[in-house]
Amino acid sequence: MTMFTYYLELAWRRCRQNVPIVLLVVLTMAIGIASCMTATTIFAALSGEPLPGISDHLYVVTMDSRTQGDANDAAYDTPQSLLNLRDAKALVDAHHADSQFAQAQSLAQVSTTDGKHSDRVIGLLGYGSLLSTLGVPFRYGRPWTEAEQTAHAPVVVIDATLAEKLFGTSDAVGRSVTMGTGTFRIIGVTAPWKPRMQFLGLTQNAGNLLGQDMQFYAPVGAALDHGVGPLNTGKCAKSAPVVNFQSTHVTHCRWIEVWVSLDAPARASAYRVFLTHYAQAQHQAGRFVQEPKPRLFGTQAWMDRLKAIPGDVGLNVVLAGGFLLLCMINVAGLLAARFLRRQGHVAIRRALGASRRHVFMQHLVEAGALGMAGGVLALPLTWLGLWVVRMQPVAYAAAAQFSPGVFAILALLSLLVGLAVGILPAWRVCRQPPALQIKLA
Amino acid sequence: MRHLLAPLLRHRLMPFLVVLQVALACAIACNALFLLQQRLKPILTPDGIGEPSHLIIASKIISRGKPWETSRLRDTERALRGLPGVASVSVAGSLPMVTNARMNGRVQGVGHGTRADTAMYIGDHLVKTLDLKLVAGRDFTAEEDAVRNHGVGMRQDGPVILTRSLADKLFPDQKAVGQTLQLGDKHPAVRTVVGVVAHLMRNDFGGGAHRNLDHAMLFPSIPSAWPLPSIGIRVAAGADPQQVRKQAENVIQRMLGDGMVRGIDPAYDMYGALRDQALARYRASVWLLAGVCLVVLIVTLAGIMGLTAYWVQQRTRQIGIRRALGATRRSILRDLQAENFLLVGFGSLLGLMAAYGVNLWLMHHYELPRLPWSYLPVGAVLLLVLGQLAVLSPALRAARVPPVVATRSV
Repeated sequence: MTMFTYYLELAWRRCRQNVPIVLLVVLTMAIGIASCMTATTIFAALSGEPLPGISDHLYVVTMDSRTQGDANDAAYDTPQSLLNLRDAKALVDAHHADSQFAQAQSLAQVSTTDGKHSDRVIGLLGYGSLLSTLGVPFRYGRPWTEAEQTAHAPVVVIDATLAEKLFGTSDAVGRSVTMGTGTFRIIGVTAPWKPRMQFLGLTQNAGNLLGQDMQFYAPVGAALDHGVGPLNTGKCAKSAPVVNFQSTHVTHCRWIEVWVSLDAPARASAYRVFLTHYAQAQHQAGRFVQEPKPRLFGTQAWMDRLKAIPGDVGLNVVLAGGFLLLCMINVAGLLAARFLRRQGHVAIRRALGASRRHVFMQHLVEAGALGMAGGVLALPLTWLGLWVVRMQPVAYAAAAQFSPGVFAILALLSLLVGLAVGILPAWRVCRQPPALQIKLA
Repeated sequence: MRHLLAPLLRHRLMPFLVVLQVALACAIACNALFLLQQRLKPILTPDGIGEPSHLIIASKIISRGKPWETSRLRDTERALRGLPGVASVSVAGSLPMVTNARMNGRVQGVGHGTRADTAMYIGDHLVKTLDLKLVAGRDFTAEEDAVRNHGVGMRQDGPVILTRSLADKLFPDQKAVGQTLQLGDKHPAVRTVVGVVAHLMRNDFGGGAHRNLDHAMLFPSIPSAWPLPSIGIRVAAGADPQQVRKQAENVIQRMLGDGMVRGIDPAYDMYGALRDQALARYRASVWLLAGVCLVVLIVTLAGIMGLTAYWVQQRTRQIGIRRALGATRRSILRDLQAENFLLVGFGSLLGLMAAYGVNLWLMHHYELPRLPWSYLPVGAVLLLVLGQLAVLSPALRAARVPPVVATRSV
């Protein structure tokens, strides 16, 4: 420990002797570390599970479920997750997975029954165990029951933000709201909830990268009965219009996604068998006119397939990583030059009895200290970098947030970078025999 | 040559670090410059629109429940045309720089094998409203614009106007006007080319870089059964665009407001502002990549300078001896420059290979096109110049070493 502080003191004294080079070293390291941290912060915010602990068990159902009406469409070259409501209900009602639901995004005007308070909000139309499977946290009340769903009972679950806006209190269970043409009874209030990234309804959500707050959840049967339709009716059979917004005439359309939760891989393969049976039966019965090619995709595979995360994000990490490497080589060179210039000092220390290990350690401590200094300077630079990204017109701008985790990684990274760039020069300087060094001095 | 190489081989650390640094900088700079050029493409492609300050684009006019009735859109168009200061109005399926509704497809000239990927703009009076420059043939006639489209109009016969670059691609070495083309394979709707315009930019700028952004074509009349049309309004010269924009907003709201989707408001933009919005992402990317290139080069410059300065200082005595033995200042300077040239050249060579490897990897993971060969010499020359700049000051200092140094403390 005393040696450590002694080495630090030595490093400090040497740094004061040649300030410009030290500044150059620290600045180069800081820029490299900061750019790397900025890129990885965004990358980390956008990778991983959209719903930690839940979405890794979730799979989306895809198949070519085109019926007679839209047989004329283009070939089925990419798996399609949008299904007709009839198929979605059949798959959910089969209860073949651990839990399953169908969902479609909706945009609705929700108001109090007296019409005094109202808000336009995004929510989900669902069928099956939507809320429990997604793990949406409840503040009050409960999700809808199967009986309510079958009976098309006009019930709705809203989030606390909407409840407070409409009623001034988040405990709104038992009250009613007007949506579309109907009055819906509130049976539950959830805490504000959104997935980290958008993963439901990806094919209809171009441009939305980060999850959005879902503010209401309504059973699809009752919603359609009362004029609350999905935001986008997806692809409709030829007899009906091609693409529509906020329509409840969805009988001939493919617009709703089925997600199933399967705990074990074995369960997934069993479910695939079930899915194939279902699709083939529909094909043989003449409903699906094409070979249905049913497939199941895990959340991550599905997001990768649809390129939910823009390539730019990964590309920037690669670029920043390369840049950090360049900065490190650069600093290693500068440090080597700096250390080797002082061979005379080293020679004297060696002649006075310092072992090679001591000399090596001394220089490594100096490099590590410079690395930490770089890290300290990188902190405001990273903050600046993230601020610049937040100002950019990119979909992931909001993900560029500084967090304590980032700070910890930054500290670790700067120490590691300092030590890594110090090893080669430190080893180099302790290698030469003392006699030669004294002579050179 | 030998006196240049020998010291490099004896003290391997410094040359090694210089070479490594140059190689890495070269690999990064080549790829970053290439990415930069890719991102610049949508910004530099001519959009073909004349007088952008006098064009208003209304978009996000989304119908609720069912598509707009064509008659309703025609009525709205007529009302807009009646506004003072309006020169021309188009109702279209989509317009340039409108990114929320796009129509694209592959077309093929009848009797020609070449296919091309292109944007389709279906709407009436587009040549006039967008102020496109006709370079051959004619504009659509009033009769053609009055035709009622089945559906949006993609699958029916009729006339078409192409951009020059699309015409050249489909009908190389031939006059395009009078030729016919078809869309896709399954729906052989045949369109006859009646005109060619100089430029018109497509509105999906992303995707493959092989894509020509100047490939677009126009169909006449307004799309039926379409829920999200855009309306282009050409403001007459001398009229105040902002004034017209406000009035147009009122007209559209009055004529179509009750049929619009609830929760999404239409956007009324001046074309220039819309263009800025649509391309903002690319501009941001360009600044970022330009910044990266610049910082990489500065860091490399500083690095080479620092290393060379030490390398020269270490050999002060040898330089003194050479001077004592009759070497001129010029030859010392030239030797150091040649040495730097060798090191940087070797580093660039490695860097070019690395750049190519990195590009292959990026192509595999991020849908980038292949790095053109022309980038490699550019990258190498850039670094060689940089290296010479970096070595200049240490080399000049070395050349000033007096011969007397040779006699000291041998």
